[in-house]
Amino acid sequence: MRIRTISITAAVTTLLCLLLLPFTIRAEEANEYIAIRKQGAGRIAIALDRTASKGGRESEWAGSIDGTIRSGLDFTGLFNLLQAPANMRNPQGGALNFAALNSVGAEIYTGGTMTKQSGKAVLDMEVYDALSGKQLMKRSYSGEEGRLRAMGLQFCADLVELLTGRKSLLFGSRIVYISNRNGISICDFDGQNVEHFTASRAISMNPVLSPDGNYLAWTDYSSGKPDLYIRNLATRSTVSVGKPGVSIAPAWRNGTDELAATLSFEGDQEIYLVKPNGMISRRLTNSRGIDVSPTFSPDGSKMAFVSQRSGAPQIFIQELRGGEARRLTFSGSYNTQPSWSPLGDRIVFSSVQKGGEINLFTINADGSGLLQLTSGSRYNESPSWSPDGSMIVFMSNRQGGKRLFVMNADGTNQRPLVLKDGEQQQPNWSRVK
Amino acid sequence: MSNTKYFAKAVFIPALFTLGACCCDKDVVVAPVAPAPKTQGDQVAPQAVASVALVSEVYFDFDRSAITPEIQPMLKTNAAWLTANPDRKASIEGHCDERGTSEYNMALGDRRATAVKGYLVQLGVDPARLQTISYGEERPADPGHNEKAWAKNRRVHFVEK
Repeated sequence: MRIRTISITAAVTTLLCLLLLPFTIRAEEANEYIAIRKQGAGRIAIALDRTASKGGRESEWAGSIDGTIRSGLDFTGLFNLLQAPANMRNPQGGALNFAALNSVGAEIYTGGTMTKQSGKAVLDMEVYDALSGKQLMKRSYSGEEGRLRAMGLQFCADLVELLTGRKSLLFGSRIVYISNRNGISICDFDGQNVEHFTASRAISMNPVLSPDGNYLAWTDYSSGKPDLYIRNLATRSTVSVGKPGVSIAPAWRNGTDELAATLSFEGDQEIYLVKPNGMISRRLTNSRGIDVSPTFSPDGSKMAFVSQRSGAPQIFIQELRGGEARRLTFSGSYNTQPSWSPLGDRIVFSSVQKGGEINLFTINADGSGLLQLTSGSRYNESPSWSPDGSMIVFMSNRQGGKRLFVMNADGTNQRPLVLKDGEQQQPNWSRVK
Repeated sequence: MSNTKYFAKAVFIPALFTLGACCCDKDVVVAPVAPAPKTQGDQVAPQAVASVALVSEVYFDFDRSAITPEIQPMLKTNAAWLTANPDRKASIEGHCDERGTSEYNMALGDRRATAVKGYLVQLGVDPARLQTISYGEERPADPGHNEKAWAKNRRVHFVEK
């Protein structure tokens, strides 16, 4: 009787697994493995094995790597992380026991070993298709002890690329933001490794790193009014755009070394292109009222921005080579802070709603496909795309103070970045390591 | 129509207006009571207002930077003060409430300050004596998160220099 119950359970489990497993294909000729799934389909079920080691220092390193890989993969929102069964690996070595994975429901199995070779940590990782037992990837990572996190994240990037077919730009990326305690600050994509750029007591706003990582631009009040500053990070020299009025909301134009910002020295708040040496290159907008918050298409040929030209603030798009601006947003009476996806298709923005909430939406660059990403969570502002376009960082005060949150591009998996420097706001996700 | 009826209407209708005005008054303008300056056209007569203090705050509607009729008398008072005190300067700070987003509000605070400066210049004040600065939503006068606080924060703040 007991045996029968178990066998029925096993059969049902196997059947469920088969039903739940998304359809996967292998491109044999290119030796690529890409999990093909419908958009919005479930996550990739992956069994993570503990990194094997012989003990002592190697064990500590292995534990640290396991933590990095687990949290790195979890951060992407792409995976359902499963515990690999204890009998997966034969202690005497030899073949992996893929039958043990059946009860776990994993599609992918990954595991590795940590060894110490001439003082360096060497991580050998393997990735298998859990169903067929076919090896999909085998790669070695080595470095000093201080580079353990970088090694673990490199494996995460390689695994994501293997399974999605797209190069992952997430794990090397960083986020600049304003900390109410420390001013302009920068952290890794997951909130780790916080550094502070300035110790200025003046109000600082809207820090943005250039696409090549060589320049940081921001606005602060150190001169007594909101001026724009551009710092060459290598030489540490800083120039300011010391024009009368405000100089605010900088955004780097992709494919060039210029940035756009709103300046009001001519009386009206207009958007100008500015060179890294602080000289104005040319004026981009020409309409009565506020024009602010530029963001560029990936090729730098188009600019989305906020304009008051139709009354209340709305988002417009204009070609840089000239021509009339086209209104993008028609839903809602207060739409600001556009950020253009690095994939080019969608623009995320914040909308002040009737009930007083500020929520984030995405919309296609042609105005179709409006999608609400946040709701019922007070103010959600300053959205900025991850360099691979898979995620969005933003500020929310849903838990009280202003904190940075991340979510997947479709609004799922919203969670705070763990940062310990007081309140944070105005995040800008950069590709730069 | 009898005289009584006429009288009743004469009292009732203005009363309704007053009541209505009180109920609709979303954007409360709280200003120190200052005697309205005597003006000749738009030019201010300095001798009449030498003792008048600078009005420190004027208020705006949400997402607006227009000089409303409500704030014009206060700005005229300030123009008179500046005329009566030719050695003094004023800093005009534009502020916004916390609603909306910080970059847009920086621009809106700039528009409010510039609009006020423009009005004062129209009244004859030398633009060189007026400095504008926008603080956006960064320096609220009232840290509250309700309409009462917001109304106090949508302002231009005058500072004597």
